[in-house]
Amino acid sequence: MTEGRYVYCIVEGAQKAQLGNIGIDGSRVYAIPYQDISAVVHDCPAKPYESKDNEVVKDWVIAHEKVIERAWEKLGTVLPLGFDTIIKADEEKDPEEIVEDWLRGDYQNLKEKLDKVKGKAEYGVQISWDTKVISQVLTEKDEELEKLSEEIKSKPKGMAYMYKQKLEKLLRGKLEREAERYFKKFYGRIKECTDEIRIEKLKKDEELRQTLMNVSCLADKEEVKVLGDELDKINNMDAFFVRFTGPWPPYTFV
Amino acid sequence: MPIDIDEDNLKHGLLGLVIAIVEIIRDALKHQALRRMEGGNLTDEEIERLGRALEEIDIAIDQMKEEQGVTETVKSVRDGLDDLVDDVLDQMINPERWKKEGEEKGI
Repeated sequence: MTEGRYVYCIVEGAQKAQLGNIGIDGSRVYAIPYQDISAVVHDCPAKPYESKDNEVVKDWVIAHEKVIERAWEKLGTVLPLGFDTIIKADEEKDPEEIVEDWLRGDYQNLKEKLDKVKGKAEYGVQISWDTKVISQVLTEKDEELEKLSEEIKSKPKGMAYMYKQKLEKLLRGKLEREAERYFKKFYGRIKECTDEIRIEKLKKDEELRQTLMNVSCLADKEEVKVLGDELDKINNMDAFFVRFTGPWPPYTFV
Repeated sequence: MPIDIDEDNLKHGLLGLVIAIVEIIRDALKHQALRRMEGGNLTDEEIERLGRALEEIDIAIDQMKEEQGVTETVKSVRDGLDDLVDDVLDQMINPERWKKEGEEKGI
């Protein structure tokens, strides 16, 4: 049954490349060209990949991403598609023709998107901070907090407890405002060195290290050093940590 | 919200859930106590008594978690609840996302 084509990504250039048996479940991956763009596919039945077993799905998704990365390395600019993008044949046309039809119909749009990400890669930036150290610094330079923590020392047990709660609440508020301030600052600095930036959901905090921001950036592969240098500066700040990943194919920006 | 309960860890899970709820009630009490204290309508003696009582609750809860080995379970119940509330809030303040989700589900 090969009445469908599973599409991994669109690549620039008229490619007839064979990428080998690297697809989902070891399928043979190859490119179908139309003019100067091509679709990277494998032959499959015309029904989506579905499984109740999370491990199986995970393997499929990893294979999906591996193919995109491979195509990116070997064939140049790619537009990654989502998992389970399958083009179905109909009674009159074989699936190959349908893929071509699709490339033809959407040519302008695909071409524009390819141009947008040409020579560029996606990078992930996560910045976290050590709230314990920051809290200490805040308490030392904040009169209100310092006064309160001094007061606690001279109070009887029960009152000290209540004042401690008050102190923690105040501190939380101030930490939040600081977080917001730093977020804006870092966001601006990262934006300066990238073409595009997108805010992602924050990941779960690690013990004592709170995630401050999580962004995906699109940057020129040749000019990414500027971003790296800027992030180094942030990483060198006391109690701040930067996680910088990539280059990835531009998953987020297509 | 995934609460991991099967036959083997039923007791464990249930206890974790109960303590998580107790913690949430404790937090609400604490919040109220603090508000009244800051509002200035408690005497020093009342603050002292409240503080001692709340501290005892803290100690008792920690001890129970330790003894029963449910510290992690309680944390995961509370994280699960946090995520749930996050999602609900996110939908409420992002009507566009809400709409999109509805479309995806074909509503």
